[in-house]
Amino acid sequence: MEDRLYLPEFSHRMRTTFATLPRWWITVAALTVMAVLLSPFYWVLVGSFMTPAELFGSQMSLWPKHFAVQNWSVAFGRLWPHIQNSLFVSAAASIGTLLITAPAAYGLVWRKPRGRKTLFAFTLMTQMLPAIVFVIPLFIVFTKINLVNTLAGLTLADMTFTIPFALIMLSAYMKDLPYELVEAALVDGAGQLRAFLMIVLPMTLPGLITVAVFSFLIPWGDLIFALSLITDDSLQPLTLQLYKAFGQYGIDWGFLLPGSVLTAVPAVIFVIAASRFIVAGVTRGAIK
Amino acid sequence: MRANAKTPAGKDTKAVVAERSRPIARRARLDTSPYMFILPFVLFCLLLMLYPVVYSLTLSFREATVDTFVSGDMPFNGLTQYQAAVADPIFWRAVVNTVLFAFFSILFQFTIGFALALLFQLNFPLKNFCLAALLIPWVLPVLTAANIFKGLFNDIGPFNQIFHMVGLGPFPWLAEPAYAFPATIVANIWIGFPFNFILLYAGMRSIPIEVYEAAKIDGANSWKRMVFITLPMLKPVSAAVLMLGTIYTVKVFDLVWVMTGGGPANGTQLLSTYAYQVGFSLLNFGQAAAIATLMVLLVLLLNLVQMVLQRE
Repeated sequence: MEDRLYLPEFSHRMRTTFATLPRWWITVAALTVMAVLLSPFYWVLVGSFMTPAELFGSQMSLWPKHFAVQNWSVAFGRLWPHIQNSLFVSAAASIGTLLITAPAAYGLVWRKPRGRKTLFAFTLMTQMLPAIVFVIPLFIVFTKINLVNTLAGLTLADMTFTIPFALIMLSAYMKDLPYELVEAALVDGAGQLRAFLMIVLPMTLPGLITVAVFSFLIPWGDLIFALSLITDDSLQPLTLQLYKAFGQYGIDWGFLLPGSVLTAVPAVIFVIAASRFIVAGVTRGAIK
Repeated sequence: MRANAKTPAGKDTKAVVAERSRPIARRARLDTSPYMFILPFVLFCLLLMLYPVVYSLTLSFREATVDTFVSGDMPFNGLTQYQAAVADPIFWRAVVNTVLFAFFSILFQFTIGFALALLFQLNFPLKNFCLAALLIPWVLPVLTAANIFKGLFNDIGPFNQIFHMVGLGPFPWLAEPAYAFPATIVANIWIGFPFNFILLYAGMRSIPIEVYEAAKIDGANSWKRMVFITLPMLKPVSAAVLMLGTIYTVKVFDLVWVMTGGGPANGTQLLSTYAYQVGFSLLNFGQAAAIATLMVLLVLLLNLVQMVLQRE
């Protein structure tokens, strides 16, 4: 299992790198550091239950006196249609990314088609480009072919972020694939497609999950494509709607903070559920 | 190998498998071409990635404004867009800001990430929980982080409340360039430190434990082990982290766009926000594309500088 590499149950480094300390004291130190570093996130969680008067009062309050639950019900009611838009775009981008990059990563790594080095180089190169390089041409082209102000157009645009990223990450997983198993299946008479579906995909499941998660989260948090491609209010994803909440007459914090937490929900769920995969996946993809 | 396989006595299983699989693999390569696997990816790359990149590049040599865009003919005008971009003092302000933004963001992200990575080389209860929790700032949507820091840096927000308690401030965080610029950097450090942390953490883990044990036997104390083992052996990972950090930081858009919109008085204007403004507020797509090209050149230049510095 790859997580053993990165998150071992027991490390000897404690004895070798540093002098021996009581282990619970390190936990206390780590939790203190964590409390400081994560305090901004705590602020938004707690602040989403405060009235603006309490939030920006003369005294700093660390806990709401009365839970302003109406913040949440109002924000949720107003944002629900946009949450649906975001769910649709993110799910579609995630599925589309997997459908395109899973066979491609396998094909490029193990079937060695001609031009694969060029493709890899191009994919890596696109990671370097600022979003604006894609935003302006896609806006112009999508305007011409009527994909502006459609969720399909936004999904395709978001996939220009997720696809290169997913291919790089999945290729790292594919390299570790025990190819003898695929060969054995081919020897036993399985077709290429069958071998791919029955052996390659199950063997690379941790990688596929990680890629699916990131390909969901990236479109979910996207602002720049939504900002430039969607003007129709009913089609706006969550992020854009929340961004538009900065009105001309100041900021409605009672709406903005619960909205911000709602925007963060999938990311926090995924990081808790899949932290092992994420750590392993990110470090693989970036270091290899 | 072949001789080995032919003699019945020396016919080991490996040779048999190699002999059997070779012709079958060749047949398999014929029946489903590898190109079937990569076809959708190649199509996507051509239509939605290569085409826009080329389009953006050619656009930077054209006059593409509202008028020409609507009429449909965007005439070539050579380097005019680049000349116009470079002649604008706001462009140079954005260049300086982008470089400073990247430098300070990466400096602190890397330092915090490195310190955390060292701490997490120790083994302690709840370690995996802490590690996962520390990833939160990085996986949060940038918009959420931007809203958080917009609130924290509010005139009467928590940061000023804390400064007030020690008798300082209030500081006009997002209202004056001299304060708004560091405020956006602080927010970006917060978003980026976990990425540095996990990469450096994994890099340190991959240093073989035997090296440390050997050094210890030779009498190296923990400080020496850090300076003579951890730092040199971590160099390839550090280089990768710094390079990726530069690429990501120069690309930052959402954070600054939401927190300050590039203001006040262009004080937080980055090349990314400036290009977006020129493109979508002034509707001068040609010039925005020219700025985008210059941004790519800046990323290349910064990475080159890094590579030269690291070699020394």
